[in-house]
Amino acid sequence: MNWSKVHLIMIREARDQLRDRRTLFMIAVLPLLLYPLIGMTFLQVAQFMKEHPTRIWVIGSGGLPEDPPLLEEKAFARALFDDPDQARLMELTIEPGSIARQALVTQAAQEAVSAGDFDAVVYFPPDFGPRLQELRARIEAGGRPHGEPAELAKTIEALPQPIVYYNTAKDKSRIARARVADMLHRWREGVVAQTLVNRSLPVEAAQPFKVAATDVAQDSGRRAAVWAKVLPFVLMVWALTGAFYPAIDLCAGEKERGTLETLLSSPAERNEIVWGKLLTVMFFSIVTAVLNLVSMGLTGGFILAHIQGSTTGGGILQIGPPPLLCIFWLLLALLPVAALFSALSLALAAMARSTKEGQYYLVPLLLCSTPLMVLPVLPAAELDLGTSLIPVSGVMLLLRRLIEGEHLEALKYALPVVAVTAGCCLLAIRWAVEQFNNEHVLFRESERFELGRWLLHLVRDRSETPSAAEAVLCGVLLLLIRFFASFLLPLPSGWNAFAVTTVIVQLAMIATPALMMALILTRSPGRTLLLQMPAPAALPAAVLLAVMLHPLATVLREAVQILYPLSPQTLSQLAPIQQAIEQAPGLLSLILVLALVPAFCEELAFRGFILSGLRHMGSKWGAIILSSVLFGVTHGLLQQSLTAFAMGVVIGYVVVQTGSLLPAILFHMVHNGLGILASRMTVETVRATPATQWLLRQSGDHYVYDWPVLLVCGILAALLLQWFRQLPYQATLEEKLHDALAHQSARAAAR
Amino acid sequence: MIHVRELTKTYADLRRGQFVALAGVTFDALPGQVYGLLGPNGAGKTTALRILSTILRPSGGTATINGHNVLTQPSLVRHQIGFVSANTAVYDRMTAAEMVEYFGRLYGLPESLLQDRMHMIFQRLQMEEMRDLLGAKMSTGMKQKVSIARALVHDPPVLIFDEATVGLDVLVARSLQQTVSDLREQGKCIVFSTHIMREAERLCDRIAIMHRGHILAEGTLSQLREKHGEEDLEELFFQLILRHEQQQAA
Repeated sequence: MNWSKVHLIMIREARDQLRDRRTLFMIAVLPLLLYPLIGMTFLQVAQFMKEHPTRIWVIGSGGLPEDPPLLEEKAFARALFDDPDQARLMELTIEPGSIARQALVTQAAQEAVSAGDFDAVVYFPPDFGPRLQELRARIEAGGRPHGEPAELAKTIEALPQPIVYYNTAKDKSRIARARVADMLHRWREGVVAQTLVNRSLPVEAAQPFKVAATDVAQDSGRRAAVWAKVLPFVLMVWALTGAFYPAIDLCAGEKERGTLETLLSSPAERNEIVWGKLLTVMFFSIVTAVLNLVSMGLTGGFILAHIQGSTTGGGILQIGPPPLLCIFWLLLALLPVAALFSALSLALAAMARSTKEGQYYLVPLLLCSTPLMVLPVLPAAELDLGTSLIPVSGVMLLLRRLIEGEHLEALKYALPVVAVTAGCCLLAIRWAVEQFNNEHVLFRESERFELGRWLLHLVRDRSETPSAAEAVLCGVLLLLIRFFASFLLPLPSGWNAFAVTTVIVQLAMIATPALMMALILTRSPGRTLLLQMPAPAALPAAVLLAVMLHPLATVLREAVQILYPLSPQTLSQLAPIQQAIEQAPGLLSLILVLALVPAFCEELAFRGFILSGLRHMGSKWGAIILSSVLFGVTHGLLQQSLTAFAMGVVIGYVVVQTGSLLPAILFHMVHNGLGILASRMTVETVRATPATQWLLRQSGDHYVYDWPVLLVCGILAALLLQWFRQLPYQATLEEKLHDALAHQSARAAAR
Repeated sequence: MIHVRELTKTYADLRRGQFVALAGVTFDALPGQVYGLLGPNGAGKTTALRILSTILRPSGGTATINGHNVLTQPSLVRHQIGFVSANTAVYDRMTAAEMVEYFGRLYGLPESLLQDRMHMIFQRLQMEEMRDLLGAKMSTGMKQKVSIARALVHDPPVLIFDEATVGLDVLVARSLQQTVSDLREQGKCIVFSTHIMREAERLCDRIAIMHRGHILAEGTLSQLREKHGEEDLEELFFQLILRHEQQQAA
């Protein structure tokens, strides 16, 4: 790739955007105007956002104790309020006489609240006041029947209860209920306090201690906590919005204006064009996000100062500006996120024939990315292995940790977050380049879509092996089936149930969909599933490679578990499966269910249909890695997925080099088989077989490989992989073309 | 200079299945020659020229330009050609000079050479007055001039004009034809597609008559007249198409 051409294209595109009034308005004018306008509106509306009084109907207040009083002159007693002015917020209509039949009161209250005559109704039953008085009198007179506290408790229990009627469907009614409940609560405390006083007991007897809370957060920490939640969200939303509009103009807009073909016929390569446009879109995404942030910060600062100034008179901004380090982390995180959103927007916009069509694609993009941006803002969201692997969310959570100053914790998850973000960015950029290389996307003509014709076309015009899109569809289908099956399948109650479930899942939910798709969507299922003999030496080589890699796989699995341990909940969920496996009648049945069946079924799907299809992307390693990601994800448990991904890459490489599925099945079978054997290693079995004693050493309650074994196996595995590397692999047409183009670019760059 | 052998292009189409836009087209165009592709709309002219300019990839066959393969060496091919088509518009928010300069830089021309080339082209195409005019403010004729200047800036040995006179008034079309003639005099190899008989007659040294992805006849104008015993090109064109339709129907 020639970066001077990328630079030229970027400068031209950026200048073109800056000459466009719409873009200028979106990125510069809108943020600078929007927030002051929102601020002005907020201040205007705030004048009217005062607390409104609620109307309350009090029934049966006649017999209530006067000491302390609940009501005073058609209002709640002033002593019940911290701020006596608050009394005006409750307009009371008092009915001293009570009604004995509660059903009548309920009906009347329901009607009054529904009709809006009152927001809440408080009902004191007729004997509530007298009975309360009687109880107090007994207590005050030292009337607690000696040795009979149970009787007093019964008396209190039998005391009729006041009732507050309200309507949850009405906001005002809910507010009225909260206010009334607060009044009754305060009055009850008053009654208790007065009773104690009358009995010559200190008031503190009812509240022997109070809880004092002291905030130990430093000022900067408090500020960081506030900003850590708000800023990443605002930044992400505007990074996406700022990327989308220029992307549409640079792709769909160019198609519409007829200049795309001019650019395509220029000496710039497609990837240079994409990078040039991508950097432009990224620039606008970053500028939009930063300008919005600055404008929002300034306006928000002034408004906060105004509000706090008018309430406390100090005019000091209590929240204060975000710490400097926080801004540094934000800008650092903005780069990959803007790159990701820009590449996604560009790839989507490339599909659109017109700017109008392009704008339709904004909604699905927003729908997919909003949950990722909202998830980290939720109070329960924490940075852990699971969340760190979610694109965008992981970055935001990591960012929060960094802003909060928890650098060590952040560092622990930095690797998965960076890996996932970089992976997503690369995939998105790759997708955008693919879109620009795809004639069907660039020169798409409007054609009426009909499901029937499309299905017919899939079968009628099928090729020898599946397309990359069909391979991805197969992977997604397997994931969906697995997702729904996990809810429907019961937890195994014993070995037999476990064995039956595992075999059914493997055969019906992994192998069958892949086989069906190969039969329906390809002209040569045999070639698709690579059902052919490899070079004879490849089979023993695959077995040997699986054996040599087993120690390394064990170390990898242990490392993953140490770094990201399984949670107690996950362990308890896995316990029935572990028990079922322990109940297995013998080694043979274990190997059949956990090694043989998965080796056949998973290889048919992942290295058969999916890898064959993905190789039409034109990149051998891209296909291997993507198929391994899908293979890893179907393993469900994240910790397992990571090791499955690594094994998937090795098996994928073996398949591509040998052009056959058989070595893959053998490798998979031996790998799983060794895992089963290793899990059954006990002190007795190791003692009984002397050969294992110099291979393994005890570590805690289980055995691990000795490090010389690891070293030797690692070297032998590398030699075996080297042997696979020299096999003459069958490149697909796309891979050959890709290589030829890369060769040409390399020569051009060398010149 | 241009060698096209059995070039095919097929598209997947929901309604028609595999649609053949180009069915094994073969021709050669030489330097100092205007090679005309004459055919009605949908004949496959644009598809063929888009493949030659590496915008589309062929489904089969080969095409080489100055020895470079369009499929495997697209970047080298693009350095050899200047492509002007009804679909290659000029940028609205760029001036004539900026646009030509931009493409010159993309071709990697050294700055002094680029300025010389621009000066020469602007003078030859009488574009000096519109140097600083934005694309959005230009007339159709002006835009076409900028497109030609953009295609000529790197002095390519091969020029491809695809329906370049569509939408132009008689005066501008005549001026474009004159430019093409001048380029031929300079020894350029030119492929010129059109559906206008008069234009083909006046301009082209060799003509390929295309219909539904096939070349029905190919040769110099006199060879075509002699072979088919018809003096009038339009009549000859109709007869060839009619015969092809009858053969297809049979």
